[in-house]
Amino acid sequence: MELREIISTGNDLAAEAAVDAGCMFFGGYPITPSSEVMHTISDLLPEVGGTCIQMEDEIAGIAAAVGAGMAGVRTMTATSGPGVSLKAENLGLAQMAEVPLVLVNVMRGGPSTGLPTRVSQGDVRQARNPSHGDYRSITLCAGNLAECYTETVRAFNLADRFMQPVIVLLDETIGHMHGKAMIPTVEEVKKGIVPRKVFTGAPEDYRPYGVGDDEAAVLNPMFQGYRYHFTGLHHDGKGFPTEEIETCRKLIQRLEDKVMMHTDELELNEEYMCDDLEENDVLIIAYGSVSLAAKESIRHLRAAGIKAGLFRPITLWPSPATRIKHFTDKVKNVLCVELNIRQYTEEVERVASRLDIHGLYKVNGRAISPYEIVNKVKEII
Amino acid sequence: MARTLMRFTGVGGQGVLLAGEIFAAAKIKEGGHGLKTATYTSQVRGGPTVVDITLDDEEIFYPYANDGEIDFMLSVAQASYNLFKNGVSEGGTIVVEPNLVHPTEEDRKRWNIVEIPIITIAKDEIGNVITQSVVALSIANTFMKALDDDLLRSVMLSKVPAKVHDVNNKAYDLGKKYALEAQAAMAS
Repeated sequence: MELREIISTGNDLAAEAAVDAGCMFFGGYPITPSSEVMHTISDLLPEVGGTCIQMEDEIAGIAAAVGAGMAGVRTMTATSGPGVSLKAENLGLAQMAEVPLVLVNVMRGGPSTGLPTRVSQGDVRQARNPSHGDYRSITLCAGNLAECYTETVRAFNLADRFMQPVIVLLDETIGHMHGKAMIPTVEEVKKGIVPRKVFTGAPEDYRPYGVGDDEAAVLNPMFQGYRYHFTGLHHDGKGFPTEEIETCRKLIQRLEDKVMMHTDELELNEEYMCDDLEENDVLIIAYGSVSLAAKESIRHLRAAGIKAGLFRPITLWPSPATRIKHFTDKVKNVLCVELNIRQYTEEVERVASRLDIHGLYKVNGRAISPYEIVNKVKEII
Repeated sequence: MARTLMRFTGVGGQGVLLAGEIFAAAKIKEGGHGLKTATYTSQVRGGPTVVDITLDDEEIFYPYANDGEIDFMLSVAQASYNLFKNGVSEGGTIVVEPNLVHPTEEDRKRWNIVEIPIITIAKDEIGNVITQSVVALSIANTFMKALDDDLLRSVMLSKVPAKVHDVNNKAYDLGKKYALEAQAAMAS
């Protein structure tokens, strides 16, 4: 793939990626540490004929974005944890009505308003189920500057493929750090765009939600003669509310299966220095900015004769379960490092069927340094 | 080149962020790797701010400076000086604005403390206080010899509007002059 060098920040790269991936609408409300995403995209979108609108609050911001998604365009909002809390209801509507949408969450300390300017990964569990009810979140997590770009692009493609919101998690460190990124050219990104499916039969035969058991809805763009109904209520093939027993069951089962029966299209992870790991070595599991400290710690550990490797989930939800299990079956010493308390460790425990996973956690808004990881590894081996 | 770690500290609104971006960009232009991270508080202006700059020929993963490994720090505010000085390695150089930062006697034994009136230079000699970030950039590079001066200057000029190129060139020259004078005074 053809790459180009760019010097930028994670937040700016996410904004550029959105526009390059064909996003034409941004609705939002600025919040630290995500504000630069909106700031930058407000410059970029008008240049390509798109629209960026600052609404009166976070709720209205996502509501506008969901509306644009219903109309048929690629759409985005960006926020931080407190904003996701407010947007939860509309995220649920987008899950139920199957409206594609990309939400970038640049994580800061929580709960509530928490630590506005400081780094955290406290929204990992929230990303899994931001709203009530049964549905499957698709959540991606950038672990370096380049991925702020590539994962945002991937999020747009997955949103259209699965017809639902896709969350991209950045954290304050990744969002604000400024340096070099090697990213695909705009042409490469354009080549990779798969537009959402469109029904081309007779309008009277159109059933947007009348699809196969593991398939996503087919929502045609508005104002082209294909009429249907949007609702957050349980609905039939045309989108009209119903309480018919079998229709209700099949709808929610389909929301589950359209994701979980296609996890092969979603799972993504990095394996850094994992090839030579044996039973008594050390597997570190980390994601987002923490993985940068982990990689540096592995350099130090290996120099000291301790064989360690990093497993980094890039798709957090659904988790890359097959590969996690592969490594947790093989390596005895597993250490999860997170800027929260056990939010992903619990998923690793579930997938690995192990309760002896070690953890290193920090929740005071400060980064975990490579030396803290080195010391923890020395403690557990 | 081994890894170079620099830290600029001040209070929000002083413009130390830009100097970090220029350093990182210049190192990348040279073919290496550069990263800038900034930490600030939720106070919009006046809160302590720290900018860490990492330059290396090899890929940089962890973007912050590890405490105790910083080669050079520059500080223009007492509060942030106190908070972040301990990141500097023993014997490392700390440049302070003497009108605003007052190191203790103990500090002077532990580090190579250099006093340069950065803000006064920007305000009175250049006539624009915003140029202090370029004065700081030039001082840091003179002490660290991290990058070629012409390269750093050209990247700096590419980041500021053309109409202020003259004052920023002057700021760069004055920063270098004061840094060289301080080094000469230390040597004598």
